[in-house]
Amino acid sequence: MRRIIFWIALAVLLLCVLFPLYWVVATSLKTQRDAFAMPPVWLFAPTWENYVKVLNNGVFIRAFFNSVVISFSASLISVGVGALVAYGLVAQDEATKRQNEKFILSLRIAPPLIFIIPTYFLAAQMKLLNNHWIVIGVYAFVNIPFAISLLITFFEDIPRELRDAAKVDGAREFTIFREIFLPVAFGGIVATFILCVLFTWNEFFIALVLTGRDTQTLPVSITSFLTFQGVQWGPLTAAATLVMLPMLVLGMLVQGKVVRGMSLGSIKG
Amino acid sequence: MKDATTYFYRPVVLFFGTVSVILTVYVVWLTLHNISLLRPGQESFIGFDNYVRLLFDGRAINALGRTVLFTVAATVIEVSLGLAISLLVDREFLGKRIVRGILLVPIVMTPVVVGLTWRFLLDPSNGMMNYLLSTIGLGPVDWLGNPNVALFSLLMADIWQWTPFVVLLTMASLESLPGDPQNAARVDGAREWQVLWYITLPALKRALMVVALIRAIDAVKAFDIFYIMTRGGPALSTETLNLYGYISAFTNFDISYSLTIAMVLTILTNVALLLLYNLAFKAPKQGEA
Repeated sequence: MRRIIFWIALAVLLLCVLFPLYWVVATSLKTQRDAFAMPPVWLFAPTWENYVKVLNNGVFIRAFFNSVVISFSASLISVGVGALVAYGLVAQDEATKRQNEKFILSLRIAPPLIFIIPTYFLAAQMKLLNNHWIVIGVYAFVNIPFAISLLITFFEDIPRELRDAAKVDGAREFTIFREIFLPVAFGGIVATFILCVLFTWNEFFIALVLTGRDTQTLPVSITSFLTFQGVQWGPLTAAATLVMLPMLVLGMLVQGKVVRGMSLGSIKG
Repeated sequence: MKDATTYFYRPVVLFFGTVSVILTVYVVWLTLHNISLLRPGQESFIGFDNYVRLLFDGRAINALGRTVLFTVAATVIEVSLGLAISLLVDREFLGKRIVRGILLVPIVMTPVVVGLTWRFLLDPSNGMMNYLLSTIGLGPVDWLGNPNVALFSLLMADIWQWTPFVVLLTMASLESLPGDPQNAARVDGAREWQVLWYITLPALKRALMVVALIRAIDAVKAFDIFYIMTRGGPALSTETLNLYGYISAFTNFDISYSLTIAMVLTILTNVALLLLYNLAFKAPKQGEA
């Protein structure tokens, strides 16, 4: 009896979690008529017409390209800088490390509004609002503290003896970093990179404020389907599926690390 | 000789420190002026007028109230629901890994897409939610159009996205608990609810506090689903302080006032955080004593 209740509860839970997602994907594969049928159509002949419409939309393709460029460059910078800083911090004594880590995390408490308005204001005066680099720079700035604190946890797993032995052999710090830390913590570095990409790809607020016509990322671009004449749900659900699908794949790749990383990203101090 | 490892982090930490100090000073300086993009070149020093204005701005006070309501409701519901679910799945069963994977889905989903998804489900005429209600004989609800309901519809979307996060974190801490005290209590004849109340929950307290802290910080800053689902409407009924700050800056172009809002929001968040933080990290000591 208890087992049956357990399985029923679990089924209800999974249904609640998955149904909204299923419904969006299903709607994206429906014709206009099926999508708005009341009562809803459960069995339907799938069609790709919404996807064809979205993929022929130059603005959307452009935004996809922007999202890829911006999230990969910003994450590359974040992980690169983050790895160097994390290496330096792991080598310090416990008190110095904690103190610096605390400071780095405290940077992330402020709501984005407070640093994005001055950035916007300055960028507007320097005519940089339609520039990829300003967005990449801000995302790197936001993700570096996160990358540092996550990478520290991976670097701490590396036995200290490995470093000491290399030092006895006369290796320089940068050599130890490149030849020992990078290869040994490679999995963790890749996971950090993927998480940075995930955050940047999903981020909306900064992109909304700082991107212009040519630099719009996907989350901003997708809002253009919400027109004053009403919402075009068919193409919109297709676009939404295309936006989130890569992140679902990436999320599954770094499954165990997502929650660890996200809690780090938010604790901030 | 100086340790070379300091060169790896000092410059970056110094850079971040400098930027934050400059930014803070700059923001404070901006809030003491009346800079508006609508009146370029006419800004002047006005002292604390923006802060006084905020104090008597009914719209801002209401927005602050909604921020508090949303944050407290989201945090309490997500943590309690998440705890209940994690206790439910805290056992060995077939497909546990798959359940974990499924729970990850809302967390990694783009928040804008989450907002769109719920707006779609809550559509007053074609939405799934009203259809489901109608099958059990309940009248249509204008989820996002009714000022009394809209904030709760947003809450629902937030709960859907972030409860799984609480579940996964709590599951991890449940698994890392030593099972001995529980088993010992069971051998001594304790009932399941006693084991839960006197042993498991106190052991989880710290982890739950941290999760609650994380969710509270994010709820204060919630923006994406608000912007997508209601944009603060109808009749400002879902406008939080964060959203009001955004609208002040990018609809009214009132840069200084918007930054004043952001400043006050930051200070209030930090004060609340500090209180919660002390609560979270003093609690275990009392528990152990």
